[in-house]
Amino acid sequence: MTAMRNTREVVGQPTPLIDGIEKVTGQAKYTADLPAAGALVGRILRSPFSHARILAIDTSAARALPGVHAVVTGDDCAFTYGVLPIAMNEYPLAREIVRYRGEPVAAVAAEDEATAAEAMRLIRLEVEELPAYYTAEAARAPDAVPLHANKPGNIERAVHHRFGDVEAGFAAADLVREQVYRCAEIAHGQMELNGALVAYDTARDHLTIWSTTQVPYYVHLMLARCLDMDMSRIRVVKPFVGGGFGARVETLNFEIIAALLARAAGGRVRLLLSREETFLTHRGRPETEVRLKLGMTRAGRLTACACEVVQRGGAYAGYGIVTILYAGSLLQGLYDIPAIAYDGWRVYANLPPCGAMRGHGSVDVRFAFEALLDSMAGEAGLDPFAVRRQNLLSAPTETQNGLRVESYGLGECLDWVERASGWTARRGRLEPGRGLGMACSHYVSGAAKPIHWTGEPHAVVHLRLDFDGGITLLTGAADIGQGSSTVMAQAAAEVLGIRLDRVRVVAADSMLTPKDNGSYSSRVTFMVGNATIDAARALRAQLLAAAAEPLGVPADTIECEHETFRHIGDDGPGLPFADVARAALAREGGAITAKGSFTCPVEFQGGKHKGGAVGSTMGFSYAAQVVEVAVDIDTGMVTVEQVWVAQDCGFAINPLAVEGQMQGAVWMGMGQAIGEETRYERGLALHGSLLDYRVPSIVESPPIALHIVESIDPNGPFGAKEASEGALAGFLPALVNAIADAIGLRLETLPVTPDRLLEALAVRRREQRLARELAREQTHAQEGVA
Amino acid sequence: MELLPPFHVATPGSIAAAVAAGRHQEASRFIAGGTDLMVNLRHGLGDPAALIDLRGIPELRHVGTTGPDGLVIGAAVTLAELAEHPTVATRYPAIAAAATAVGAPAHRAAGTVGGNLCLDTRCIFYNRSAWWREANGFCLKYQGDTCHVAPTGKRCHAAFSGDLAPALLAHAAEIDIAGPDGLRRQPLAALYAEDGAAHLRLAAGEFLVRVIVAADPWPAAYAKARARGAIDFPLAGVAVALRRSGDDVDGLRVALTGTNARPFLLEGTEGLLGAPVSPAWLDRLGRLVQKQVSPMRTTLLAAQYRRRVAAALAQRLAATLGGAAVVGDAA
Repeated sequence: MTAMRNTREVVGQPTPLIDGIEKVTGQAKYTADLPAAGALVGRILRSPFSHARILAIDTSAARALPGVHAVVTGDDCAFTYGVLPIAMNEYPLAREIVRYRGEPVAAVAAEDEATAAEAMRLIRLEVEELPAYYTAEAARAPDAVPLHANKPGNIERAVHHRFGDVEAGFAAADLVREQVYRCAEIAHGQMELNGALVAYDTARDHLTIWSTTQVPYYVHLMLARCLDMDMSRIRVVKPFVGGGFGARVETLNFEIIAALLARAAGGRVRLLLSREETFLTHRGRPETEVRLKLGMTRAGRLTACACEVVQRGGAYAGYGIVTILYAGSLLQGLYDIPAIAYDGWRVYANLPPCGAMRGHGSVDVRFAFEALLDSMAGEAGLDPFAVRRQNLLSAPTETQNGLRVESYGLGECLDWVERASGWTARRGRLEPGRGLGMACSHYVSGAAKPIHWTGEPHAVVHLRLDFDGGITLLTGAADIGQGSSTVMAQAAAEVLGIRLDRVRVVAADSMLTPKDNGSYSSRVTFMVGNATIDAARALRAQLLAAAAEPLGVPADTIECEHETFRHIGDDGPGLPFADVARAALAREGGAITAKGSFTCPVEFQGGKHKGGAVGSTMGFSYAAQVVEVAVDIDTGMVTVEQVWVAQDCGFAINPLAVEGQMQGAVWMGMGQAIGEETRYERGLALHGSLLDYRVPSIVESPPIALHIVESIDPNGPFGAKEASEGALAGFLPALVNAIADAIGLRLETLPVTPDRLLEALAVRRREQRLARELAREQTHAQEGVA
Repeated sequence: MELLPPFHVATPGSIAAAVAAGRHQEASRFIAGGTDLMVNLRHGLGDPAALIDLRGIPELRHVGTTGPDGLVIGAAVTLAELAEHPTVATRYPAIAAAATAVGAPAHRAAGTVGGNLCLDTRCIFYNRSAWWREANGFCLKYQGDTCHVAPTGKRCHAAFSGDLAPALLAHAAEIDIAGPDGLRRQPLAALYAEDGAAHLRLAAGEFLVRVIVAADPWPAAYAKARARGAIDFPLAGVAVALRRSGDDVDGLRVALTGTNARPFLLEGTEGLLGAPVSPAWLDRLGRLVQKQVSPMRTTLLAAQYRRRVAAALAQRLAATLGGAAVVGDAA
């Protein structure tokens, strides 16, 4: 096989998304846009109770209503579902017990919306209420009733990890500080609302679902399980999807409910959720309390870290075990820390279930870590950049918890944001109320160990040379707006030496495309990218073999560039792609399908300790950022004036998309830092609209100066790593560090809303007044003695 | 998105026709931009048999300074039209600022002056889906008998959240109201009552026709506290009109929104006349505001914040208009 060419023609070029035109012209069909002629209207009846035993659900009047074709309840599905095989404890429709306000208890399919609404009104729910818990503290109280009988104390998972000699580490420190940080629960706020269209073919017992998902394969698995159907009788199609951010990385109740309704009605059902219902389906980042203790030498070298994390996970398991493990494991992999103690508790509460969200598990802990480090740097008289540089890793290395770091561009990221922001010259010299703060962050490029073990590769791609000379790339990877289909097309075109637009991508239709685990943990570019390269190399070998005869030279001395096959070193006219394609099709007897795959080697799958697989990956992305703020101490308003961010994504296959992802990560981090939070009134969501759930508006969106660092990861496709999560977590601490620089006030609670900021200022004034009075009294007392 | 209830729509072309339509239709509601009403109807807040669309009445669409009355603003003039009107933009900056502070561009393109002045009051227990309100046992303002903000009380505390009202109150605006009993003119302030469930003093079939503002306005400004720089309703909004004679303040009106069930003019400002704006003067103004606003837990941000920031904004505006560079202590 020929060596990879040194010059890059397609990858590394800023490339508009290959499906961008459909989106900006409104031609793209999202789930709610799909033709649904004859489809029944699905609606979900939700529990008004936080915690209750179901005594009876009377659906007789609803079933009798003309125009109602199906009514389903928990009685219609006795199978649990869930993303983790060890923690499937949720029913698509509650059985016996409801555990949060908004949990589905029944669903109807009717001829129109008005009939569906009337049918919902006719369903009678009879319950016996149980005590409800809305905080981790209340749920963990000794006398609290367990939400799940097998989880006493409402602890879904407790994690206790020790790496290195923590006591010795703190003993060796010159400065040890401990602080509690609190982050509100947040939600993804993805643009497209949840929804599914399901067609059930009664004659063939076959079901097709079009859904707003990031994980078509998991949806496939759970539908087969909950409907007790053979997987081959189900087809899962992912249409255009308007964002995910982790909201859709597990099968969601509405998908199974829509399928149950369609089967019960014997036809098509369209179930579209409202914004409020989408918020109730939730799976966001849990309310988190972090108690963090760090030890540092006078020079700024970290000696030890002890971290306790409590996450309020909501009523069901979801990804919870993974989230609480991530929170601990990703304390590592960013800096060199000699000793780490981690204790985490994932707690059940009577609220909508939390799940995975961009930066999964790492964000709130990173906020605490970088905020405390900044505070300690200040106390030690050290520059925040200098402290980070004291603790850099040196790749390749393996962390104490078994995470492999093969490429590490954090140093370059630090250098760039320090220079670009004018840090050295400007910090401490800004006008009153202005401040600069910085922080670092990182994230995995795909979880190295898959959740569902099938023995198959982690990613498979099919490349097909068709009779027309087009290359069809078939992948199960879900492009949800992040641009993965474009990256795959670029990778294939690059390896084959062909034009990008010769590649057409068919993504995520189980009838056509190979299995893919889905778009989560930033795995697609790395894993599916490598599988694409593998497939493209296999197809290239067949094309070169076909070119060998007409060119009259051995296949391994031929290359293809700009769709022309030539003997290496020959600058003659060569053979055009069309001729070689024709020869290959004749030679192989028709369309050629090449298969490529990728599997993370076992040595990358984490430490041997329990839970050691979580956090393991083949490559970490790294980011550093500086945030400049203006703080109005009269109104409590914080304005983000400018952000400088640098990210090591290994290699930017599509720099245009990388920039977009970096901006998105910074912006999403800003949302969590300055405004977003879920709020509940005795378990009732108070944040069920984009008016009450305050994602930033364009007014708050700051200029973001970007820099891409390319460390060329030895295992990444063309050296690439992830690019969309790593820069998120750093924003939060950079913001509070900037506020501290601006007004000398260190905030430990997020989000920094104007009411919290004014209250913190009022508390500080009271404390300062008391301190002054105390000092005055002491002076008086001393004068009295004198 | 929830289903809209069924209703008839009337599109009168004159004030008389609109009055007649209101008289004929039991349980009708007037509508213009619909940016507030339609959202509420989808939430099941109200079930009108008919909506009477006022946008087709020429008198309601007019804004200008042609008559002897000063500035006349038709009730169906959109907020975008108002903000962009040359006279308003240059001579009435507080009104332009208040109009621009409403919602986002799409809201201002549809929303109207009358709609913003007659905006329904808002509360975290009221502006909810039908499912939510039923799960919470409804509330005193609609379909229920308990105020979840103050469960022991018998009054609704939902907050008036229009931006335009304080700017117009600070200019001592008057309004014309049409109804079955004919046309009447009254101060804008008299439109409002301190009751979140019945904050508009409009009889059945009455609607706002126009707003009249004096031709020689005092210098005025509007400021709004909100979590985001767009979209959000005011947590507190303050308009200050301040006239000076030399260094001394000789005319002062301060009007507030977002803190009470009605927008209102601050009382006791005459005590601040005859003196220049100084730190001590601003302290007195701040205390006056803090004493008269009564924010309750009707927003997700803390009520205490709204009290503090209302005072801070009043002080900031007065300091600017009064020519002082000093701002008092917000707390």
